Amino acid sequence: MHIESIIRLENVSTTYEGERRPAVKKVNLNLSENELLYVVGPNAAGKTTLLETINGLLPPSKGHVLVFGLDVRRRGKEVRREIGYVPQDFMVDPGEPYTALDIVMMGRYGKIGVLHRPDKKDFEKAMEVMKLLGIDELDDRPIGKLSGGQQQKVMIARALSKDPKILLLDEPFSNLDPDSRERIPELMAQIHEEKGVTTIIVTHDVSRILKQCRRVVVMNDGRIVADESPEEALTTFERPLATHPTEAIP
Amino acid sequence: MIWLELAIMQRALLGCVLAGFLSGLVGVFVVRMKLSAIGYSMSHGAFAGAALGVAVSANPLVTALLFSSATALFIGPVADKARLHADTVTSIVFPLNMALAFVFLTLSPQIGLTSEVASVLWGSVISMSNSDVVYLTTLCAVTLVLIHFFWKELFAIMFNRKLAEADGIDTKPFVYFIIFVIGVVVTFSLKLVGGLLIFALLFNPASSALQFFHDMKKIVLVSPIIGATTCVAGLMLSLFLDLPIGSCIVLVSTFTFAFAVLLSPKRKREEVIS
Repeated sequence: MHIESIIRLENVSTTYEGERRPAVKKVNLNLSENELLYVVGPNAAGKTTLLETINGLLPPSKGHVLVFGLDVRRRGKEVRREIGYVPQDFMVDPGEPYTALDIVMMGRYGKIGVLHRPDKKDFEKAMEVMKLLGIDELDDRPIGKLSGGQQQKVMIARALSKDPKILLLDEPFSNLDPDSRERIPELMAQIHEEKGVTTIIVTHDVSRILKQCRRVVVMNDGRIVADESPEEALTTFERPLATHPTEAIP
Repeated sequence: MIWLELAIMQRALLGCVLAGFLSGLVGVFVVRMKLSAIGYSMSHGAFAGAALGVAVSANPLVTALLFSSATALFIGPVADKARLHADTVTSIVFPLNMALAFVFLTLSPQIGLTSEVASVLWGSVISMSNSDVVYLTTLCAVTLVLIHFFWKELFAIMFNRKLAEADGIDTKPFVYFIIFVIGVVVTFSLKLVGGLLIFALLFNPASSALQFFHDMKKIVLVSPIIGATTCVAGLMLSLFLDLPIGSCIVLVSTFTFAFAVLLSPKRKREEVIS
């Protein structure tokens, strides 16, 4: 079956349990295979909710979310096995009894499947991505004893370890040290280009959008208010967001 | 050690080792999955069930199992279906179970604190039968086998349930499985510690083991050993001081936890690797 859009959102609204106002409102969005999309916007614009609606962690209250042509509401588990997700500001307690390698290996568990055990290939893949991110020497260190930046790299490695077809990265570079803040985004762009991974990166820092990016979605108050080039997004951001058009450009 | 030649004491000792081991093992999941409130409700569900058994002169083990299974069902799938928060459900179920337990004990045909009623409340060495030991051994084997098979999923859920979901693991069946196992383990350990104190058996060994290791696998291995050891030590204490066994086990396991906190190497150095 030919799938035109790898990610397709049709008039999607998402409301958190116990709330009346949707955090994401009537969003239409199409992403083709191998696309790199940035989602930008102020705090509480609905960026994180949008990512978690795409991977089905938050079921949409209205509309349809199709990933690989599958409805995430019904086939979320299958879909998520092919999606690498890095959550925003994921910090671990210092006493957490897991090593960095344990966490990276977990990225592969869904794909391995129930009743199957991780084998040498899984271990090698986990070590490969850790090496790529420069954290292979921290493999046996307790995750809680690592710095914020190192923990963030572990979470990125976890997302990459499953060889994802889609990457959803929520402010993935915010805690990195200055050197890594240059290197890791370039590495993600390289993975996106070489492996054809469809990538969505959420950020509030428009000035750090990768040069490989051709498309930026601006969100405000749960809506997509602009869908444009990075250059246009930079100009858009200089204007107050209240003056943006209110409907999405699919 | 002449007492060890008595069959009743051998059963009590075996019961202590098995119940302590099981509770210590399951307790790791209770602590790591933040199911403490659920564990608390389950233990009092089993207590209410056992009290019903005493009241209607039925086998307390069967009624305790029925009650804890019903509690597990209510806290797990039913609450999820009704979209009720776990906190809300446990806050309702816990006092309900306690109220039912005391109603059943009041309705008990035996007058006063008979041995059967006392064993439900505080636990009793003499109430351990051969079949209880067989049940506990079977339960131990089944639990170990299931944890072995589902270890990968449970390991990921214990770290972070939402991230496990994000990786394509269907977490609900595993959480329900652990809730159900808590209920069964609590039911079969009830005779030893009693309904009011059984929760400590789930919580204390795992919390003690967590003070020492940064490796989850080591915690899962050591917590059951702490559970079994504290149960045996509690049994000895109760024999020497002629006190209720449940209370002695809880006292020993609480002191073990206090020592674990004091000696914890994890608390001594909290440096961040740069």
